[in-house]
Amino acid sequence: MRISTSSLYATSTSQLGTLQSQLARTQMQLSTNKRMLAPSDDPIASARALEVTQSQSVNTQFTTNRANARSSLSQEEVSLSSVQSVIQDIQATAVAAGSGANTAADRATYANELQGRLDDLIALANSSDGNGGYLFSGYQSATPPFVKNGANVDYNGDDGQVNLQVAGARKLGTNDPGSAVFNGIPTANGTFATAANSANTGTGVISTGTVVDATALTGHKYSVDFAVSTAGATSYNITDNTTVPPTSVASNVDYVAGQAITVAGMQFDVKGTPGDGDQFTVQPSDRQSLFTTVSKLIDTLRAPVVTDKDKAALDKGLQDAIGNLGQGLDNVLAVRASVGTRLKELDTLDATGSDADLQYQTTLSGLQDLDIVKAISLFTQQTQSLQAAQKTFNSMSGLSLFNYIS
Amino acid sequence: MAGDLLNIGKTGLFAAQAGLATTGHNISNASVPGYSRQTIIQSTTMPQNMGYGFVGSGTQVTDIKRFSDAFLNTQVRSAQAASSALDTYGTQIGQIDNMLADSTSGLSPAMQDFFKSVQDVSAAAGSTPSRQAFLSSADALAARFQSMSGQLDDLRNGVNTQITTNVAEINSYASQIAQLNDQISNLSSSGHLPNDLVDARDQLVLELNKHVKATAVPGENNSLTVTIGSGQPLVVSNRAYQLQAVNSPTDPTRTVVAYVSGIHTTIMPDKVLSGGELGGLMDFRSTTLDGAQNALGRVAIGLAASFNGQQALGQTANGQMGGPLFASPKPVVLGNTNSISDPVSPTTLGVTIKDATQLTTSDYNVDYDAANGNFVVTRLSDKQKTALPAYTQPGPQSADVDGLTFTLGGNPMAGDSIGVRPTVNGASEFQLLTHDTAAIAAAAPVIMGVGAANKGNAKPSDAVVDSTFPGKVASFAPATLTYQVNTNELTGFTAGQVVTVKTAAGSTAYTAGTDTIPYVAGATYSFDGVSTSFSGQPIDGDSFTIKRTAPGGNDNRNMALMGQLQSAKLLDGGATTLQGAFAQMVSTVGNKAREVQVTGAAATTSLAQATASQQSVSGVNLDEEAASLLKYQQAYQAAGKVMQIASTLFDTLLSLGH
Repeated sequence: MRISTSSLYATSTSQLGTLQSQLARTQMQLSTNKRMLAPSDDPIASARALEVTQSQSVNTQFTTNRANARSSLSQEEVSLSSVQSVIQDIQATAVAAGSGANTAADRATYANELQGRLDDLIALANSSDGNGGYLFSGYQSATPPFVKNGANVDYNGDDGQVNLQVAGARKLGTNDPGSAVFNGIPTANGTFATAANSANTGTGVISTGTVVDATALTGHKYSVDFAVSTAGATSYNITDNTTVPPTSVASNVDYVAGQAITVAGMQFDVKGTPGDGDQFTVQPSDRQSLFTTVSKLIDTLRAPVVTDKDKAALDKGLQDAIGNLGQGLDNVLAVRASVGTRLKELDTLDATGSDADLQYQTTLSGLQDLDIVKAISLFTQQTQSLQAAQKTFNSMSGLSLFNYIS
Repeated sequence: MAGDLLNIGKTGLFAAQAGLATTGHNISNASVPGYSRQTIIQSTTMPQNMGYGFVGSGTQVTDIKRFSDAFLNTQVRSAQAASSALDTYGTQIGQIDNMLADSTSGLSPAMQDFFKSVQDVSAAAGSTPSRQAFLSSADALAARFQSMSGQLDDLRNGVNTQITTNVAEINSYASQIAQLNDQISNLSSSGHLPNDLVDARDQLVLELNKHVKATAVPGENNSLTVTIGSGQPLVVSNRAYQLQAVNSPTDPTRTVVAYVSGIHTTIMPDKVLSGGELGGLMDFRSTTLDGAQNALGRVAIGLAASFNGQQALGQTANGQMGGPLFASPKPVVLGNTNSISDPVSPTTLGVTIKDATQLTTSDYNVDYDAANGNFVVTRLSDKQKTALPAYTQPGPQSADVDGLTFTLGGNPMAGDSIGVRPTVNGASEFQLLTHDTAAIAAAAPVIMGVGAANKGNAKPSDAVVDSTFPGKVASFAPATLTYQVNTNELTGFTAGQVVTVKTAAGSTAYTAGTDTIPYVAGATYSFDGVSTSFSGQPIDGDSFTIKRTAPGGNDNRNMALMGQLQSAKLLDGGATTLQGAFAQMVSTVGNKAREVQVTGAAATTSLAQATASQQSVSGVNLDEEAASLLKYQQAYQAAGKVMQIASTLFDTLLSLGH
């Protein structure tokens, strides 16, 4: 083919330009360590990289959320551990105060000590969450949750639990409202409470009782009414007082002291000699706060003991208090165990999270990073091509017939 | 005889002189763009019959031939138009490509920072610093949206300016070609073409093709007729027609090209002008720029709508229901392209966004179909048509298409056509509406409570509000539900509200005023826009409270839901996340940029090949010219020798007389 001189030059220079820009591109790749300099270099990988970056960022955010959750839960764990030891102190004090050798002055001393413990407990229940808020007030972090109001301690928080997203499909509570930690603790045996009517004349004593069949529980209120016949035989009726009208559950059962009585899954017994018309009640446990339990204990210890009845009230009060303190401790321990479980779960999620992070990093690196060895080898090759093109252009452009015309 | 020889020698001398002049002309013009090499065409002169035969009388130059192949020239022109268009497209799209390439300044980091701050508020909803950080990062996100949209606007303005420049160049080329047509016609009356002028004209047509694809066909009197677009004449004989760059009458942000013929100015549709820089610009604007800006806008609109929606269901630190956080960008309605719409009551069109999740990145056209008496909404990306029900004057008629509500009114005329760009301003109008840290609705508005003296283990689930709650908030009254064991019912629902109980078996609605409603563990109780359910077994007299959440505090329920929007599928009818939609945009632009690079490289190669073929015919080869130079030099010398011989012969005759 005929070649025109100008196209000879044009082709050569454009070829040199192409080689130079290829070389510059490889150099840019090497200096940034990126395979893609713009999305057009690999549109699919660029879009994928954006999505992976987002997943990675979300994963990192979950790590931050877990750190936040861990900090709150650890704070709560520390507070609960202190609460636990204060309750245990109170329990020990209650037991010591129950010794028959104690004088009124001794009991007053114990009461004063318990007053101090109660204040400790309120202070702990108003612990800070480390961000200037209160740990146990539910959502109402700015409100002190427990405030003394005369003899009572009011709860000013709510039942809210702050949940943080700690993994893709897992929200975790980072606090427990004070209402679930300190309030609403069942009294007596935790399910039902037995009591003697204050007008009873006999010496019958009802036991605390136990639940023998949880599925049979009804939540109804029952009464056990004793009757002594003129012949001296003692019998009792059991009535369900919740239904309207009250229904009889058992009637004219012969009384045997200490024999187990079972009603709706609850078992208890009556000892001693009940008088005619004496009544005992069996009803679902009341709920009371730990603070009320301690306050009542203090009141019990401060009450003067003069008569036998006073003495019996003291004993009963101490016995109830020790039982209720046990329930309170159980509740705190249950919350603490739940906090521990959550902390443990955070550790597991952390491990999964860092695995995922590594995975994302690997994927991203595969999508974006340059194969350095390949790139350097390419760079060398392109340098040589350019040099060869420059040399041959030089010698080719020197060829001209005019060199020979003189 | 000798006189003849002298004459013959002279014709040879002249022919060699012409040959040398033409070769010299070739050598001198070797690097002039568009120059076609020339050569002399020699032929013998009329021979004389001497009785014994015809004796030659010398040589003559009959023509100066120009080596040019019309077919190859046409090929070069169309290759040039294609290559220029792709080069221009490539330069323009490269700017978007580079803007998206920067991973530190793209949308992605700003969006991730924003969602990070959402999570930070979620972790400490009561903390003013984290709320402040949320507002700052929302501002930063808005700024990023606006700056990206601003960059795209800059590109759009650049395109407008370049269209204007190109139109000016095209007009200038057109008048130069018309001038040359005139000169060539005048000069070619002798029967010979003025080769250099023809070259100049061809070169001008080639230059014109760099700006717009133009077709040249031979006209009368050796003129060239040049047409562009769909056959609009640009040059006919010695007359040049003009183009004009004008603002689109329907969309002032676009410069379009109008064809001027006499007093009439007609807007040329963008797609008619293909090839050349102008074609590349038009193609870039309609294929990539509009799409990219729409896609970016849609991400912004999706983000604003989903946050505002969630915000409306939450409660601020002041105890109010949340107000909108972000401005809701509005669709752009263009002008009616019909020049004869009803002057008294023209068709009116209002467009609002109804459901951001259904939005597409396309633009729309609303046309009046006079034959069927209804409006037709056309999605421009795939020409999908939605025929609306028959229109009754004077309207208004409302219809929902692709998440948009079109409200039509007025007296439509045949040919009415109105363009709609739903998401083009999404990113530029995206902005944070409040800078009050308390205005962030991190909390949920309703909280359930368990009575302090409850003996049973029943617990209510978190109260969830639905979209009807904000409307009922004024009438919402706190309630205490009490359990009655004998009837197994809950009492205490506020009078005047319907309670719906949904169990696995189905749902039952209790009319307003029904006081007692059966207790079913696990069933969902809905009333007043609030839903809750209960687990466990209550005991007689147990109570549950439903009330507004106290303001302030750490309640993060609504914020946690906002955090989930990051990975929620909010666009494309629930198929794509916000980040996914942005990735789609990056991928679309990247793919197109790559396509343009590849086809651009192919077009460059084909231009180079066409040029090489054309140059192999028309181009000057200096070695060849050097040879011609020697050839004509020798011819000159030889002719001189002939004349010298003739002179010697004459001398011989003269010497005979001595």
